[in-house]
Amino acid sequence: MADELELFEQGSDAGSDEVLLTPAELIRQLEEAWLNEKFAPDLLESKSEIVECVIEQLSHMEENLQRAKKGDLKVSIHRMEIERIRYVLSSYLRCRLLKIEKFFPHVVEKEKLRAKEDPSDLSPEEFTFAKEYLENTEMYLKNVVLKHMPPNLQSIDLLKSVPLPNLDSFVFLRVKERQENILIEPETDEQREYTVDLEEGSQHLIRYKTIAPLVASGAVQLI
Amino acid sequence: MSEGYCPVPPGLGREENLLSLEDVLMSQEKLPCRTESSLLRLGFLEKSGDSENIPLGSKMELPLWLVKGLYDQKRRVLSVELPKIYREGWRTVFNADANVVDLHKLGPHYYGFGSQLLHFESPENPEIAKTILQTFVGRFRRIMDSSQNAYNEDTSALVAKLDELERSLFRAGQKGLNDFQCWEKGQASQITASRLVQSYRKRKFTDIVG
Amino acid sequence: MEPAEVEFLAEKEPVTVVPNFSLDRIYLIGGDLGPFNPGLPMEVPLWLAVNLKQRQKCRIMPPEWMDVEKLEEIREQERREDTFTPMPSPYYMELTKLLLNHASDNIPKADEIRTLVKDIWDTRLSKLRLSADRFVREQEAHAKLDNLTLMEINTTAAFFTESLNHMYKLRTNLQPIEGAQSQEY
Repeated sequence: MADELELFEQGSDAGSDEVLLTPAELIRQLEEAWLNEKFAPDLLESKSEIVECVIEQLSHMEENLQRAKKGDLKVSIHRMEIERIRYVLSSYLRCRLLKIEKFFPHVVEKEKLRAKEDPSDLSPEEFTFAKEYLENTEMYLKNVVLKHMPPNLQSIDLLKSVPLPNLDSFVFLRVKERQENILIEPETDEQREYTVDLEEGSQHLIRYKTIAPLVASGAVQLI
Repeated sequence: MSEGYCPVPPGLGREENLLSLEDVLMSQEKLPCRTESSLLRLGFLEKSGDSENIPLGSKMELPLWLVKGLYDQKRRVLSVELPKIYREGWRTVFNADANVVDLHKLGPHYYGFGSQLLHFESPENPEIAKTILQTFVGRFRRIMDSSQNAYNEDTSALVAKLDELERSLFRAGQKGLNDFQCWEKGQASQITASRLVQSYRKRKFTDIVG
Repeated sequence: MEPAEVEFLAEKEPVTVVPNFSLDRIYLIGGDLGPFNPGLPMEVPLWLAVNLKQRQKCRIMPPEWMDVEKLEEIREQERREDTFTPMPSPYYMELTKLLLNHASDNIPKADEIRTLVKDIWDTRLSKLRLSADRFVREQEAHAKLDNLTLMEINTTAAFFTESLNHMYKLRTNLQPIEGAQSQEY
């Protein structure tokens, strides 16, 4: 059984740069994406390249295991690891789907208005899902409720009715890369704004809006 | 994440969520107001009245959603009176010790409804907003400690006096604690029937049809 | 996050085991392990250690801090100081639970250890509540919580964040509605 893996994987064809990552790094990045997605109030940028690479790793490993001796201890250890990685991957994708369903009109709208060069929050499959969800919901509301309303009340503006993500939510984070002069806005009239430095490895409680760009850049990790 | 059904939560502060059941109930609560012009052909709104129109200067109690719809500072259709508990007399009580107040009886949407009042440009708005905030701050400790079972005593008496927002917080605190204790005992990996399914089983068809 | 998910993260922590079997080096996606030689201590992630122990394929060696005297010192310090003691492991609760539930035979004075860890946990959580109340009363916008562990944060996070989110909105109630002026009625 081929236990050895190629130590370097190429990034998916989605990006023009080749990303050289060890498999261990890749899994670490998946876990970080998973945690960030869990704790961020809004839908984060799509990490399709990571997802695709992880799926590739898992298939590769599965293939190897098919060829191996049954009942070998090694096989069961590999399988346990595969199950762990699969769990993180599914949980990550499910978390995203939950947010897509929760904010569906806004998610679709944002994607429609996105400039081609800007990164997408949705994978192509997720966008299809979001659009279908929107159409289905609109049709459902129309057929069950709206068409029975008086003529001038037969429409609903989903963008107005469905709440937006609360970017003022408080989040916990751990600092990966030192950041200086993060501006903390005053909460009351008596307070003045001040800045804090985020030391590497420190943990903080703060409003998401203030540090959202740092999550996107990977400078902080939500916990 | 383990729940299949995620209801739309009530709006925070001055926001109101159209699709939130909590907010629908909250906005059903009544507000004392006074008509600033006569309301033609709306006599049916007044339960006791028998005229077709509502004359200028009538005092009525209307639900919040209707008042928000009719209120317009330029056209002066209605003016809003502050409900008792948001006025100065009660505000003094709250500021003195917010913990003694039974917010469920006085509310049960003290914070939500109070925040909605701020839409109606009363000169007392800054004081109202301040009292609502201070009330929250003052009661926070008890809610936190009891939801974390810090007192190790029966919490039902306390919960009975919490408004809806506070009850939601209490439940969040309890869930955090219960989930942890469940995990500690090793029960987290046991499969149990979903809450929704359990309540399906308990209801008979005749109960639903009524 | 569910406590089980925090535990999932904790299961990546390295733990020393003494296997009773042989196995060549294995090349997991997450890294290399082994080779396994009977009687020779080695490090494996906690998830594997527990599994091997359940299959009676190894003995687990408790981490250095999982010791009555060490924990008593930590408990003392925790009770004495206002601030949070840096814990010997960011996953002390999870490690204690897993090792005591699956390998208590490998851990001397397991019952005392369980009690000590629980005491430390209770003291830390009550400090956390104190800090939270202070945070709310002072209406702070930011807090530094370096020595808190993930499980401690996670147990109280839902309550705190929901409270702080509400409080923030109640604070911004004070900001005037756009474009409107106060009028006398």
